[in-house]
Amino acid sequence: MKKAFKLRKPGLLGSPFKILILNFIAWIVGVLWITPFIGIFMTSIRPFREVVIYGWWAFAPFTFTLKNYIDALFNPMFSLGKGILNSFIIAIPSTLIPVSIAALTAYGFARFSLPVKKYLFATILFLMAVPQQMTIIPIFFLLRNLHLLNTYLGLILIHSSWGIPWITFFLRNYFSLLPVELEEAARVDGATDFQVFRKVVLPLALPGLISASVLQFAWVWNDFFFALMLIFDPNKMVVTQMLPRLKGQYQVDWGLLSSGSVIAMLAPLLIYALFNRYYMRGFRGWAMKR
Amino acid sequence: MAKGVKIVNIWKIFPPKVVALKNINVEIKPGEFFVILGPSGSGKTTLLRIIAGLEIPTKGKIVIGDKEVVSVEDGVFVEPRDRNIGMVFQNWALYPHMTAYENIAFPLRLKKLPEDEIRKRVKEVAEALGIADLLNRKPAHMSGGQQQRVAVARALVKQPDVLLLDEPFSNLDARIRVTAREFVKELQKKLGITTILVTHDQADAFAVGDRVMVLRRGETQQVGIPEELYNNPANVFIANFIGDPPMNIYKLPTSHKIIKSLDIPSEIGKEYSEVFIGIRPDEAVALEPNNEGHLEGKVVIVEYVGSRRYAKVDVDDGVSLRVLLECNANHGDPVKIKVYKLHVFAPEGKRLTTITY
Repeated sequence: MKKAFKLRKPGLLGSPFKILILNFIAWIVGVLWITPFIGIFMTSIRPFREVVIYGWWAFAPFTFTLKNYIDALFNPMFSLGKGILNSFIIAIPSTLIPVSIAALTAYGFARFSLPVKKYLFATILFLMAVPQQMTIIPIFFLLRNLHLLNTYLGLILIHSSWGIPWITFFLRNYFSLLPVELEEAARVDGATDFQVFRKVVLPLALPGLISASVLQFAWVWNDFFFALMLIFDPNKMVVTQMLPRLKGQYQVDWGLLSSGSVIAMLAPLLIYALFNRYYMRGFRGWAMKR
Repeated sequence: MAKGVKIVNIWKIFPPKVVALKNINVEIKPGEFFVILGPSGSGKTTLLRIIAGLEIPTKGKIVIGDKEVVSVEDGVFVEPRDRNIGMVFQNWALYPHMTAYENIAFPLRLKKLPEDEIRKRVKEVAEALGIADLLNRKPAHMSGGQQQRVAVARALVKQPDVLLLDEPFSNLDARIRVTAREFVKELQKKLGITTILVTHDQADAFAVGDRVMVLRRGETQQVGIPEELYNNPANVFIANFIGDPPMNIYKLPTSHKIIKSLDIPSEIGKEYSEVFIGIRPDEAVALEPNNEGHLEGKVVIVEYVGSRRYAKVDVDDGVSLRVLLECNANHGDPVKIKVYKLHVFAPEGKRLTTITY
């Protein structure tokens, strides 16, 4: 892996022309990426009329208002607040459960030998490629037979099992980067396999665990498809399900919708910001060492 | 109470067919400082790991004290944690997320000792090793020598029956290395703990070892006290491997005039058409040509090693000997070489005889 990074010859990167081109591309991608976001944000903090008449990019009459946010949060028909609460109820266990289970399986794959390990791991990788839409009908019937349709637990179980394969893959690579002597030292010091895992491996793999958790949390939070299929009681709906209901019956209230979107985005954004340090370290470690 | 270690018929074969250890047998006495010496790939670390229980042998058994800790034939395997051994790894393997104190306390925590007992014992061992003022630091904030002491403290704190050291000096600067060797040796003698050290460096081995075992390609070459390995090398490999500057070794036909002038017993000439001769640079001298000597030659180089002077002397076509220079000869001057001790080895390597003049 180290070699791949040496490909970036210092002279190549140093040439002014190269810097110009790289900057140009980076800026284009960045601007394309952030424009819709700015649009949503601008729409959410201005009266709807102003946006419709002049467009969100116009600054001429600029009225700042929080009305959209207040309406979205305290909508009498569709409570976004309730949706956010539900999202937390789903997303927190749907992160903790698969990360804990996948940490164990990943450690098993990284350090222990079992007869068909290679094939088992290949199967896990293969199953990661299966699209959700292909599995939703059997999942639906499975949950119905278990009487878990339209329950928090049902959706949590589905998200958790969907998360385990990729987190296993992610963490296995992370664990196999850790120096094995530390684990051997712990074994000689008197630790059982599980103590080695809990007292040495887990603390050292913290950046990796946090990276996986942040990704899984954001993924579950942003999920619309599974929630739409498996939850239909308005009191149990998650925030991504609540959002489209804000748009109204006959005309679309873009102001309300965009303020709702911004509110819904806040949770994953805050999580990224909070764990940014670990998250970056987790990925750096994952990508470079070896 | 110190315990001995018996290594019986140990084989290790890494699939498909890399033979790392071939039938190793040795008995390490209680309280002994035993060194396993060998070049890289000799299987020395594998042997240490088998003793620790980090590796399982393909055949054979290990007995610590009077308890079998692994025996392939009897189906016995005791986990490393139940062997009561302390081990210091080559890179020390300190837990980076713990302070020195936590590192040393770790084995005691696993034994679930009461907290004040742990504190007492960590303090004791830290004071003995002179690291009492480092206890709050993490490994990243310690020098190599300090990390090594913490690693030794961690290995010793649970009062193990056997201490295993895997190349403990190889990551240290030359200067610190000398102190570290003395320190480890003194500590071992004070505690009387059975210690097994693995190294590729003969200076390490000779500095600390009561006895040294030389391994090569998984086979025991010789086991003995350092003097014995130096004075009576069992074969050409040991002769070549041990000693600095290295022994002069040449393979010559028994009819060669050098062999003739060295008075090698005639039986050897009858049995072998070729032999290896070995002369240590410190066991032969170059003198003025008017002296008596075994061989004649011309000085090629004069070199200083420490306080001694060596001359490389061309004796014959393709044969040049490094010997102690005891006259004022310079490049190109003729000298006589007087040999005090000569080793003769069979063509396949085994030592046949040693002649003292």
